Amino acid sequence: MRRRKPLGELFAGATGLALTLGIAFAIAVLLIFTLSRRPMNTIYYFFVGPFTNKYYFGNMLNTSIPLVFTGLGIAVAFKSSVFNLGGEGQVYSGALVGTAICLALPAAGGYLGGAAALAGALATGAVLAGLSGFFRMKWGTDELISSFLISAAVIFIVNYFITGPLDDPGNNLLATRAIGEQYRLLGIFPPSKLDVSAVFSLLAAGLVFFLMYYTHWGYEMRMCGLNREFSRYGGINVSAYIVLPMILSGALHGLAGGVAILGTYHMAVKEFSGGMGWNGIAVALIAKNHPLGVVPAAVFFAYLDAGAKAAMLHSDVTFEIAAVVQSVIFYLVTAQALYSAVRRRAGAPA
Amino acid sequence: MPYLDMQGITRLYPENGVLANDHVDFSVERNEIHAVVGENGAGKTTLMKILYGLERPDEGRILLDGREADLHSPLDAHRLGIGMVHQHFRLIPEFTIAENVVLGVEPRRRGVFFDREGAVSDVRAVIEEYGFTIDPGLRVSRLTVGQMQLVEIIKILYRRADLLILDEPTSVLTEQQIHKLFDTLRSLRDIGKTIIIITHKLGEVKAISQRVTVMRKGQVVAVRDTAAVDERELSRLMVGKSVSFAFEREPVPRGRAVLELQGVVLLQKGQDHPLLDHVDLSVHAGEIVGVAGVSGNGLAELEDVVTGLRRVSEGRILHDGRDITRLDARHLRRHGLAYVPADRLHRGSSLQSSVMENMIIAAHHDFLKGGVFRRQEVEDFARRLKEGFSIDGDPRVPIGTLSGGNIQKVILSRELASKTDFIIFSEPTWGLDVASSEFIYSRILEIRKEGNAVLLISSNLDEIMGLADTLVVMYRGRVVARLENGPGVSKELVGEYMLGLRDDFEGEPR
Amino acid sequence: MRGSEFSIPLLHNTIGIMTPFLLAAVGGLFTELAGMLNIALEGLMLFGAFFAIVFAGYTGSLLAGVLFGVLFALAAAALFGFISLYLKANVFIAGLATNLLASGLTIVLAFQLFGNKGVIRFDVARLPTLSIPALNRIPVLGDLLLGHSVFVYVSWAIVAVAAVVINRTPFGLRIRGTGLSSATIASLGLKPRVYQLAGILISGFTCGLAGAMLTLNLGAFIPNVTSGRGWIALVAIYLGNKTPWGIVIAAFVFGFAESLSNYAQGATNVPADFILAFPYLITVLAMIGYSIWRYYKARA
Repeated sequence: MRRRKPLGELFAGATGLALTLGIAFAIAVLLIFTLSRRPMNTIYYFFVGPFTNKYYFGNMLNTSIPLVFTGLGIAVAFKSSVFNLGGEGQVYSGALVGTAICLALPAAGGYLGGAAALAGALATGAVLAGLSGFFRMKWGTDELISSFLISAAVIFIVNYFITGPLDDPGNNLLATRAIGEQYRLLGIFPPSKLDVSAVFSLLAAGLVFFLMYYTHWGYEMRMCGLNREFSRYGGINVSAYIVLPMILSGALHGLAGGVAILGTYHMAVKEFSGGMGWNGIAVALIAKNHPLGVVPAAVFFAYLDAGAKAAMLHSDVTFEIAAVVQSVIFYLVTAQALYSAVRRRAGAPA
Repeated sequence: MPYLDMQGITRLYPENGVLANDHVDFSVERNEIHAVVGENGAGKTTLMKILYGLERPDEGRILLDGREADLHSPLDAHRLGIGMVHQHFRLIPEFTIAENVVLGVEPRRRGVFFDREGAVSDVRAVIEEYGFTIDPGLRVSRLTVGQMQLVEIIKILYRRADLLILDEPTSVLTEQQIHKLFDTLRSLRDIGKTIIIITHKLGEVKAISQRVTVMRKGQVVAVRDTAAVDERELSRLMVGKSVSFAFEREPVPRGRAVLELQGVVLLQKGQDHPLLDHVDLSVHAGEIVGVAGVSGNGLAELEDVVTGLRRVSEGRILHDGRDITRLDARHLRRHGLAYVPADRLHRGSSLQSSVMENMIIAAHHDFLKGGVFRRQEVEDFARRLKEGFSIDGDPRVPIGTLSGGNIQKVILSRELASKTDFIIFSEPTWGLDVASSEFIYSRILEIRKEGNAVLLISSNLDEIMGLADTLVVMYRGRVVARLENGPGVSKELVGEYMLGLRDDFEGEPR
Repeated sequence: MRGSEFSIPLLHNTIGIMTPFLLAAVGGLFTELAGMLNIALEGLMLFGAFFAIVFAGYTGSLLAGVLFGVLFALAAAALFGFISLYLKANVFIAGLATNLLASGLTIVLAFQLFGNKGVIRFDVARLPTLSIPALNRIPVLGDLLLGHSVFVYVSWAIVAVAAVVINRTPFGLRIRGTGLSSATIASLGLKPRVYQLAGILISGFTCGLAGAMLTLNLGAFIPNVTSGRGWIALVAIYLGNKTPWGIVIAAFVFGFAESLSNYAQGATNVPADFILAFPYLITVLAMIGYSIWRYYKARA
């Protein structure tokens, strides 16, 4: 008497990924046909639109940059079997701190000030996530919930600063003053907003990849993620590797915020970074937590967004179609994600 | 006509290709206590799971009282009056005894509400009917292990079971609790129940059963009347042709005491008696100390405590005279501890990582330059180990794809590669084929010859008697014998200590 | 402002505001008890909110609105449950997907049906509120307990029923058993997945109600009208130590914070945002405190 193979197994593997994307696209097409009076036109803009001119294409790549950072942040955490759910707050607060540093520095040199801002953003995220990691290590407090709670509280606090003490009455937005020209990253693909941070993101992916697979810390992180008991027996300081990956994850998220400010937004606008944290999770999942895979996964997500935007501008559908398609992808990917390297939390603290 | 007749039961586990039951014919008469014995992996538990409806056989049929039984789930088993007490209790500690017993067949008030008072009184009625004494209103978390087992039995009696299956029921009980259990079983039989008891403790088979079925490697090899067979013969049937390894154990000069345990006690919440009870042990350079015992008597706890994975409640552990009691596994490694664990798959390796990554877990610091791995050095290291230990396969594949013997070799090679002066082996050849086992034995003897101290913890008596210089026997967490291995020491003698039949230990080696 | 002039309306408002949290959390409690992490409360509420008002507007009947809101929330819960339990998906990701689907689909449909991505007004009756003149005259309690929308009283009934179900029915026993030890439940021949699915569907039901309350109260649909209430409900479950009455208190705390932040402008110097952050902070502190206590207790 054989048991029926769980449906989920059908989706495993690389062919599974292709199948997932295929189904997702099919659903997108279906939606478009149902909702649009000019379906062929809409489909054209949805799938091809982002490639039709420099503006769309560049902006698409630009949108993917923060997702690369947050995707890396989640990948690092998942690979170490810790759960960082505070991405949204870490990105947002990192962005604020980065902005504040730029605003606070007198007309300093661009590079120095920019570096300081990014360092501040990175540190902010690192501390926030690190706190959750610390509580988990010391007393076994669930880091998934604590990181989410801290992040939620932090978002309110950042909102307060942006709409209160740091608000710029001059602009008509709920936003801070813009940072000085010298801190803004160079655009590399006018007329789009794509800037140098694209290079940073690729560098970050490369560095994280190198860290995870070629260095001592990466090895220990991965071993702890795969089998904590074995790692402990092997002599690895398992407790430290509950906190360190969280710190790194938070740092990457903070950096996402900082980079977004310096490169694209130039000012901290209320809730401008909404979604970057959550989408980072989706990106990491699709990339199966592989640092190099995060780049195409992030671009893919940005592509969906860009296509929906183009379709919205040129045709008669609404932008939120992208969200529907993304959710379908989430569903499909997770049914198969079980069979890849995403580990369930190992249980008690070491 | 037998009460229970299982015919031609076959069950193959596709995940690992193991043929757990191979055309097994098993029958039990009404009103008897029938023992099923066999070593680990003989197929006993699988057979019972099939009987209880937790698994379905690939082939075969089951007849109960002459009628064919179709068992899809434990609910079917309950309906047919079959109940099972699992080896690892299935109880919910946060619930009361009554709630645990009635769960799934709860009495109701007005169809919708749980009749809690009714449940308590119904369970109390069952308790009294069978002459037990226990308060059904107690929370299970407050019970002793013996009481928990009683609750499991009450659970199946409540469901009007006529056929009771007990899987290794005494593994967690004290002496007294075992006596009580057996009395209970006898009285249950006297009132008409039929009982199947799975065990590997031959003394108990003799004490309680009328007939015994011996299984080995998925097949039934013998069915005997208990009175007509003795433990030696049962043991022979269980193990089959005794594979005797030619152990060439030459005399080796014994050096200093490398590892010492002094008065080690391990307590655990909820357990009546200490898991380790004032254990004194010492291992000298050039000596193999073999620790024998039936599983559940403290071997695993000894392993955990000596390797730093569990902290002792009292006592000291010394390495070369230095106190290492409070050290964690991580620090013990730096002290020169090498350890081949019993749990190869979860503790001894990371199945999804490559062979190479498994090999360097303890030594990975040696291959770094500025924090970065020197790939070539790692690969050379892996290749050396591979060749030295005749391990098949590419070091880059996940270790989980290797055979059990190869995995153990990887573990062994890794442990021996580190600078070490004492090594702990726990169940080193469990589940391995003859060739791998021989390889491991020769390595262990080599290590001993090099002047290292070896602690060998094993439930395999042949292994211990072949390798050890000194034999230590554990029973109920205490050391009950310390013997110099020699012609005066026989398997029967050691076996008696293991089963707690001898109580003449004064504390000094003979 | 004199104390009682200030506090009674504040508390009255709190009771109204806390109700969606309470409803969603009580449903979510069942999933938690069955041992599953349910972060889809937000999305399920949103489904309820959207379809309730759409159908209420279309049929002219508030009741029909509530019914359809709950129905669609249940459908979404069924999808979430199916994918998590039968396709063995990661329940956390599936929950995230549900939230995303809700947020996207409701706006897509709103745009499709009404050509509008912003606030959509509907011509629906006002929700009935409870007013008993005789009782109204009772000083403090009268003001606090009466005059609320019918949803509030329904939520009290649901909480009471939930408490009874959890503690006094076989179903409650089994669902708790599933969360505590699904292996034990399976060994008795019961199916843990059935109870987990039941927990998810119950949360769909209550979230549907919660969402319906939001939109029917407003008489309009605003994109992402739920704005985080589902997450607050989840936090309330933890803060309330996974018991129905604990959840009532936790929901009250959050409701109070929101109510207070509405009054904060001018009344106090504490910025509204800090008040809103406060419940999250105390939850985190409570969690940490609990972990510390548990840690030292185990070592004793």
